[in-house]
Amino acid sequence: MKNLDSVFAAYLIGWGIFFVFSLTVAKRAASLKEELAQLKERLQDSRKERSN
Amino acid sequence: MTRTVVYTLLVCVLMGVSAYAAFYVAPTEATMGLVQRIFYLHAPSGMTSLAAFLVSFVGSVMFLLTRKPRWDWLAVSSAEVGVAFCTVVLLTGPIWAHPAWGVWWAWDARLTSTLVLWLLYVAFLILRTMIEDADRRAVVSAFFGVFAFLDVPLVYGSIWWWRTQHPQPVVFTSAALDPMMRKVFYLSWLSLMCLMAQLIRQRYELEASREELRALEQELEAR
Amino acid sequence: MKLLSDTTVLLQKELQAEFRSHELLTTASIFILIVIVLFSFTFDPTSAESKQFGPGLLWLAFLFSASLMLQPSFLKERTNDTLSALRLAVGDPFAIFLAKLCANTVFLLITQLLLLLVFGVFFNVSVLPIFPKLALVFFLGSLGISTTGTALSAVSSQARMREVLLPILLLPLLVPVLIPSAEATRALFEPEHALRWDWLGILIAFDVVFLTALWLFGEYLLEE
Repeated sequence: MKNLDSVFAAYLIGWGIFFVFSLTVAKRAASLKEELAQLKERLQDSRKERSN
Repeated sequence: MTRTVVYTLLVCVLMGVSAYAAFYVAPTEATMGLVQRIFYLHAPSGMTSLAAFLVSFVGSVMFLLTRKPRWDWLAVSSAEVGVAFCTVVLLTGPIWAHPAWGVWWAWDARLTSTLVLWLLYVAFLILRTMIEDADRRAVVSAFFGVFAFLDVPLVYGSIWWWRTQHPQPVVFTSAALDPMMRKVFYLSWLSLMCLMAQLIRQRYELEASREELRALEQELEAR
Repeated sequence: MKLLSDTTVLLQKELQAEFRSHELLTTASIFILIVIVLFSFTFDPTSAESKQFGPGLLWLAFLFSASLMLQPSFLKERTNDTLSALRLAVGDPFAIFLAKLCANTVFLLITQLLLLLVFGVFFNVSVLPIFPKLALVFFLGSLGISTTGTALSAVSSQARMREVLLPILLLPLLVPVLIPSAEATRALFEPEHALRWDWLGILIAFDVVFLTALWLFGEYLLEE
């Protein structure tokens, strides 16, 4: 029925927005964690060099 | 880690249950029929976005008073989540209005106020992208965050009074709710508030990671 | 009180600077005039409905003009870093804001009252009998516009794309000024010339809230 379709569409769009938001944040968080790990490695290496 | 997983599952379950309740448990409304069920997503989203903006306001004020960066992280995270919920209100409104009343937009007081709110907090987010220095960005946007939230009651008040003076056919009545409807409404609201908390926390952790990265980069540069 | 004396001195400086060059007042007035003329092409200015549209478009023109005119308020203090000098010169940093917002209110009022006369001619509204009441509405509205506009000038001067950022920040914030001001002005244009205290009440609330907020938090904007 047409009106129930509207309700479905509304819920789909609403949930879609929340999902996209969460997904984009998660993606950025993942790439940041990678960068952080790389940086920490570099920092470790530079500290080792220093102590040598 | 597991706490996050458990909480995420809880949120998903709540959302699922409240959607089911909105579709099948809530009684059908007399005048508007089935399309009225959008109300169980539309109205609580509006209330949740206001809650998120309140959290953002607290973050802004606390940052200005304490200068601890985590308040700034809270301010921006909850502002973004608030804008997301606001967007849902603005999209579900027309989807409800069109089948029910034949118009996409009726300048209804609450919907119009939500539109202005959306513009205000989008401006807040745009402001943040226009300042590079992290400390200045935090202070300046906290100030605007305070102004924006103080404006909220004035926006609602002036628009409501404006609509009262120029009456339009009432569109989104929150007519007296049947007890079962009220239960479904509160369940929806609870699920959305839990979702809000989850999204804010997720975004907050992203901001915290960013800061950690920045600090590490600075340390590396110093060497 | 030191705040008052600091403010008076700074206010004198602001007013003198503008009255010497007139650039802000001239450009703002011409801009409002252009907006009014252009708006008038979008509907039939001779019809009875123009009385309905008129006040709204007048206030819209004021708002657009203000969002451009208030830009230099803090921007000019960035050249030669005169802002640091100001901060050292005053006891309470709020004096800087108070002086600028008072000056801006004066400038806004001057351009508005000027354009009001032009508006009266264009739309066949006799403004002189209601001038005092209109002046009150304009004052309360302008105070709100200049309080928020001056504060946001300090905000946007620290950001990129500041020319377009200020309107983006200011205009949604000013919805609770636009609606009451336009409605109160429209009520005054009607035959009864009624002064609508319900609308003025909202304007007064707006002014009080944002003046207080600026007093409490403004100093953070002036830091290095």
